[in-house]
Amino acid sequence: MTRLLDSHCRDATAWRALLGAGRRAGDLRLALTERLAAWVADRGLPAAALYAVTDGVAQRVAATGASFPERFGRDEQVPGATIFALPAVRLVVQGALPDAESPETWLLAAGVRIHQLERQLEEQHFQARFRGVELEALYDVGLAIASTLDLESLGEEVLLRAVSLLDARCGALYLLEDGRYRLLRHLGGGEAEQAFDRDDARIQDLLARRPDCRRSPLADVAHLLAVPVEIEGQPRGLLLVADKESRRGVGPFAADDRRTLSLFANQAAIALENAKLHRLALEKERLEREMELAAEIQQRLLPKAMPTVPCFDVAGWNRPARQVGGDYYDLRQLGDHRWTLVVGDVTGKGMPAALLVSTLRTALRLLGDRMAIGPELGEQLSKHIFDSSSSNKFITMILGELDDNTGVVRYLNAGHNPGVLVRAAGDVETLASGGMPLGLLPGARFADASVRLEAGDLLCFYSDGITEAADASGDELGLDRLSDLLVASRARPLPEVMHAIDDAVSVFSQGLPQGDDQTVVLVRRRSA
Amino acid sequence: MSESLKLSLDRRDGLAIVYTDGYINNQGGEEIARVAYELIDEGYKKLLLNLQGTKIVNSIGISILIEIIEKMIEIDGSLAFCYLTPTIHKTFHIMGLAQYAGIHEDEPTAIRALTAEA
Repeated sequence: MTRLLDSHCRDATAWRALLGAGRRAGDLRLALTERLAAWVADRGLPAAALYAVTDGVAQRVAATGASFPERFGRDEQVPGATIFALPAVRLVVQGALPDAESPETWLLAAGVRIHQLERQLEEQHFQARFRGVELEALYDVGLAIASTLDLESLGEEVLLRAVSLLDARCGALYLLEDGRYRLLRHLGGGEAEQAFDRDDARIQDLLARRPDCRRSPLADVAHLLAVPVEIEGQPRGLLLVADKESRRGVGPFAADDRRTLSLFANQAAIALENAKLHRLALEKERLEREMELAAEIQQRLLPKAMPTVPCFDVAGWNRPARQVGGDYYDLRQLGDHRWTLVVGDVTGKGMPAALLVSTLRTALRLLGDRMAIGPELGEQLSKHIFDSSSSNKFITMILGELDDNTGVVRYLNAGHNPGVLVRAAGDVETLASGGMPLGLLPGARFADASVRLEAGDLLCFYSDGITEAADASGDELGLDRLSDLLVASRARPLPEVMHAIDDAVSVFSQGLPQGDDQTVVLVRRRSA
Repeated sequence: MSESLKLSLDRRDGLAIVYTDGYINNQGGEEIARVAYELIDEGYKKLLLNLQGTKIVNSIGISILIEIIEKMIEIDGSLAFCYLTPTIHKTFHIMGLAQYAGIHEDEPTAIRALTAEA
């Protein structure tokens, strides 16, 4: 090569230096330009240019004069010039060239090839290093997923990485929620649709190899690549990038790009799943805390012990179905010889039910202490509950006022299960409803009634968790079975009666989980 | 984040600072190059790129930044970066920019380093 240079080139020393080690990028191009200028001058030509051909496109490397295009395609001509094709090189000359294939011309072509190969090596080296960036990006996203559960910031991290690594001009991450793909993050480019339906006909097209960009949720894009974000085959979102950049402009994405984008979509899926599980765990924790608090509230509302009522035995018992129930009971003294007893059942469970129980208790103490049992008390209580609660909350209640002197019980039943009165002789009477549940409708009307307890008579107020306890076939314990049990055990100590009711419910429900709160209040007039 | 990179300049004695805001992609990189070459033509040999407003750089942007670095080397100048996000910081190290350009945590540190150079 050096002997060839010596024999055919005027400035061989310069060529040897330029082809040796230690020269910097750009020097060869400068040298080619200088040699080309000398070559043009030697032949008395107006101007010439050298091009390196890659993928059918000739890219200018060196030129004398400014009239040569930056690049031209395989079948294109350069106006006013002649193109000489050399292997992977084009020599474009203005004017006639008698010795197109002279050794000097071949040397120029060799210089162009060396320049082109150096550029290709630089590009490959650059790309190889950039693959390292891609691996680090995947690693870093994995670390980010492990260190935070903030879906917004994780979504941004995934999208930033995907867009930059794929040299995309813009991108978007959509998450599937409530049957719609909703935009979580958008980078670059024009507008992005905020949401579209899960069943949108565009989705299959978006995921295809060459999607129709006119239907893209990203506006003003020419090339689109979309991959699903999936967990166990179930769609959870879409990751889109658009317009792959190069120094020449934008173009389509390569097959490898789909693989890379899918890797980031998988990371997004993991992040989504983690965030969702965390959200569920937080919600569960919040609900548990709420239930604990509501249980605490409810326990404070129930009597800690039943009072001693002259001439009467009394007992009360409550077991919530879950941590917090909607049942309430109380027995307390109103005044001389007057006692109030109540069993109530609030719709719903948890904190809302606990708060409504509290409302009932307060209302009973405020109103019940001032007003005798009667329609007006029922109306006032119902109005108070109606005003204090949401539209779908109401309370069934059986409220009684006992005179321990006479044994008379005036009672008001607001949509509750009928009370059961078992006479000492074994006859059974029911204390039926005198109105609708409290708080159900404004302006509700109520009616009261009374019974008189004689010695040995047993009165039972209870909640529907007792009579509606069901067996495996759905059959309920029912009022008849409860009445029969009360008749059979009417003379036994009240704690034993309570046990009998509890046992009967457990045996009947065959160990099935308790479906509703269970409450019982018993009052029996002692024998003289 | 807007599509077009926005740039602002601060010319000081012997040192120019270019502030970037947005995505350093092909378009953004070309814009930085245009401004950098103008500054070089004006005689500046110390150039600081403050990337506080940039969260994302793609490979095209990186290749243009490399060209700017090469140009600075040609004129015996110095280029430095500051306020890189951790991602961009790591990318620049992997891609070799850190070998030829200073990378600093903040602007005062970068200015001190550049002005301390001969």
